Amino acid sequence: MAITAEAPGGARAAKMRKTLLGYVPIESPFYRYHPVTRLVLFVFIGVVPIFIDMPEINFALVVLTILLLLWGKADLKRLRIYMPMIVTIAIFMFLVVFLAPGNDPTYTPVRIGPATIYYQPVFFTFASYWRLMAMLFGTILYFSTNRERDMLVALRSLKLPFIASYVVGFSIRAAGMFMEDFSTIREAEQARGLDKSALKLADQVKLYVMYLVPLFSIALRRADEISHALFARGYNFTGKVGRGDKRSDYILTKYTMTKADWAWVTGLVLAFVAAAVAEYGYGGFRLVHSPINILLRQALGIG
Amino acid sequence: MSQYLEVSHLDYTYPDGTPALFDINVSIGEQEFVALIGQNGSGKTTLSKCMNGLFKPTSGSVIVDGIDTRGKGVVKQLVTRIGYVFQNPDHQLFNDSVQKEIAYGPRNINLSAAEVKARVDEAAKVAGVSTDLYTTHPFFLPKGLRQRVAIASILALKPRTIIVDEPTTGQDMRQSIEVMEFLESLWQAGHTIIIVTHEMSIVAHYARRVIALRQGRVLLDDTTRAVFAQPDMLRQTYVEPPQITRVAQRLDGLTPRDILTVEEMQDAFRSAVSRIEKKG
Amino acid sequence: MGAAIVIKNLEWKYEHTTQFALRGVNLEVEENTFLGIVGANEQGKTTLINCICGLIPHSFNGVYRGSVEIYGKPVLKMSGLEIATQVGLVFADPEAQFTAMTVEEELVFGLENTGYDLGKIKERLDWAVDVTMIGDLLDKSPYDISGGQKQRMAIACVLAMNPPIIIMDEPTSMIDPLGKQFIFDILRKLKDAGDRTIIVVEHNIEQLAPLADQLLLMQGGQISKVAPPARFFDDLPMVVGSGAYPPEVTSFAYWLKQSGRLPQEHILPYRFEDGVDVARAAFNSARKTDEPIP
Repeated sequence: MAITAEAPGGARAAKMRKTLLGYVPIESPFYRYHPVTRLVLFVFIGVVPIFIDMPEINFALVVLTILLLLWGKADLKRLRIYMPMIVTIAIFMFLVVFLAPGNDPTYTPVRIGPATIYYQPVFFTFASYWRLMAMLFGTILYFSTNRERDMLVALRSLKLPFIASYVVGFSIRAAGMFMEDFSTIREAEQARGLDKSALKLADQVKLYVMYLVPLFSIALRRADEISHALFARGYNFTGKVGRGDKRSDYILTKYTMTKADWAWVTGLVLAFVAAAVAEYGYGGFRLVHSPINILLRQALGIG
Repeated sequence: MSQYLEVSHLDYTYPDGTPALFDINVSIGEQEFVALIGQNGSGKTTLSKCMNGLFKPTSGSVIVDGIDTRGKGVVKQLVTRIGYVFQNPDHQLFNDSVQKEIAYGPRNINLSAAEVKARVDEAAKVAGVSTDLYTTHPFFLPKGLRQRVAIASILALKPRTIIVDEPTTGQDMRQSIEVMEFLESLWQAGHTIIIVTHEMSIVAHYARRVIALRQGRVLLDDTTRAVFAQPDMLRQTYVEPPQITRVAQRLDGLTPRDILTVEEMQDAFRSAVSRIEKKG
Repeated sequence: MGAAIVIKNLEWKYEHTTQFALRGVNLEVEENTFLGIVGANEQGKTTLINCICGLIPHSFNGVYRGSVEIYGKPVLKMSGLEIATQVGLVFADPEAQFTAMTVEEELVFGLENTGYDLGKIKERLDWAVDVTMIGDLLDKSPYDISGGQKQRMAIACVLAMNPPIIIMDEPTSMIDPLGKQFIFDILRKLKDAGDRTIIVVEHNIEQLAPLADQLLLMQGGQISKVAPPARFFDDLPMVVGSGAYPPEVTSFAYWLKQSGRLPQEHILPYRFEDGVDVARAAFNSARKTDEPIP
């Protein structure tokens, strides 16, 4: 729902604004920092879990992310939309490891009622789950505290070619349009008497195939219109202008890196490198160091 | 006595927390021709989607022919009572042939094959979709025809009430009149028609009743004539009566203030002259 | 003043169609005038303006005969960028023309394509934002503003490029009443500034006619009439027959004329205020007369 001066929502002084990928606060302490700093933070939280096996640290990263969201004035209630994803991932991962744990003589069987599970793959899955969660929350943090423009400015400041940042921006936008069309199509289907709650799984799958027809026809018509629009605006996809000069970049001039930005970027990069060295050089974040792992193994009598 | 469509104390808030409708009370009977008007964001489309159960009330209720839209498993019962034609036909055409498209609704409500075929033929005929087009992919039809197929696909469900979202947007005057005459004929045949529109001359010519919304509340709900006679109220939701109505309202009592069409203006002029003649 | 656009014997057939969409169009548009194009759908209105802005033949395939010249130069020989700096085009569906993630980004996109320096970009941006009243939307996503705001933004995008010719293809057809009013206000400002050639295709003749210096009627791929609005409706049944519907005040005045209540030489009103005057005079004279109305 658009919250604009013309819409009734405007009067209610919205604190949040919808972006193509989520909701961002209208005002946030994050906005004091250069988009590049925020992108580096995202890369740090989103990628650092790759080096970290220990679920405790990844869990701490999730907590840190939530604290940052609170500090950044993001509306935590909006995070509800990610709940199904968080739960579904857990269900899938653990189902797989319970039903098909694999067969390895080193595994320790644990009997729970009639079922037998194996400790090592279950704990490994538990650790992987938290690693994924840390990455997911890092992503949520980024999309909940960065407007579309911030993302573009970050990419362009890093000297990504114009066409690349343009394509990124365009894809994100296309995804937004796609989702809106998608929800309208689903409504249209209900208006024709389709009761999704009464459908069998196989029919639901078939249904998704059917959605492709209108989605593609709309996309085709749009693609045509957009290419005409680009022509009418004199763009030729080379990143060069008519006389062969380089494009000026107006938007970038509105942002400058402050000392605080440089300090954060330096700190985050150093921390990132330190984490990589600690893991690959010394195995510092391996599962064997996990206190929970150690406790459980002792409890189960695994050597 | 309760009407065919009863909306009482309806509040609606979007899942993202944006409130859109506040305490709407509207009842619509059999064979009415209603226009929902108002500025964007006034809640027209939201209200129309609540009316057919696409959106469920946040509080209050919408009862269609005795069926509460909040009930479980009522989708199939609702669509045979109240149909909804979307503004962009591309959103609602998802089959690979016109025939399948029109048959889609009847199949969903589990009609027999023979009944489905009969419904398709009838709906196509009423909506002016020739049987030659049955095997054509809807994507390749011109926009006007795509809209007709969309309407036919709703008619095939035989709803007594049909909601059409912006039937004339992007059409020229002749096409607009064509689609409106078609809706008029459905109205004559006993359907209730509800249109959502910004075109006031269309409203003046076809709607018998107007519900004007403003910021999620009902601003006016009366006959078309009575609503257009209140230009100051309408201005609150950025709607102007048709040009000829505004002319009449500027003539300081020389004509009635609620003239809706040029033809009515001509009648007013004729009677002004004959009144003089009688006095003479 | 010279002609901004000269079209000679223009014919155009889209590929995969059997009929010519344009069949022998000849037209001269004076510099810094306002041309309104009306007519039913599928009669060639959009095709005609696509020819003027070079989309035809640069982005469409088909058969092209005759010529379109912009300030004396054939569009056939101009590059996309060259045309874009001369002719700005606003589409009916504002949604389709946006490709960026924020309104401001969208606005400067075209400017950056021209190779202006930053100071110049800022200057043009500020002016376009001011004329279209979208200052409060700059950091929003084009996806998250109302249809009317989108269309204003689309116009700002074109204005920012400062082309001497601006073409709008049904700019108000997809938007709400308030949004429409904003667009016509912007058109009024541009016309009053008088330093630009403006061409607008529009079904809403009621709002278009008072702005236009000339009205043009397209019918069956040909220009069936070009006239100033005061003369455009002389043969009203012909205009109505073509599917273009005149303002209601014009229709009423025409009926008065046919009924002998308005002198034959009286120019049909097309502005609201003039319509009120004609109607008032007619009703007042009805009081003093006893001639029957046919």
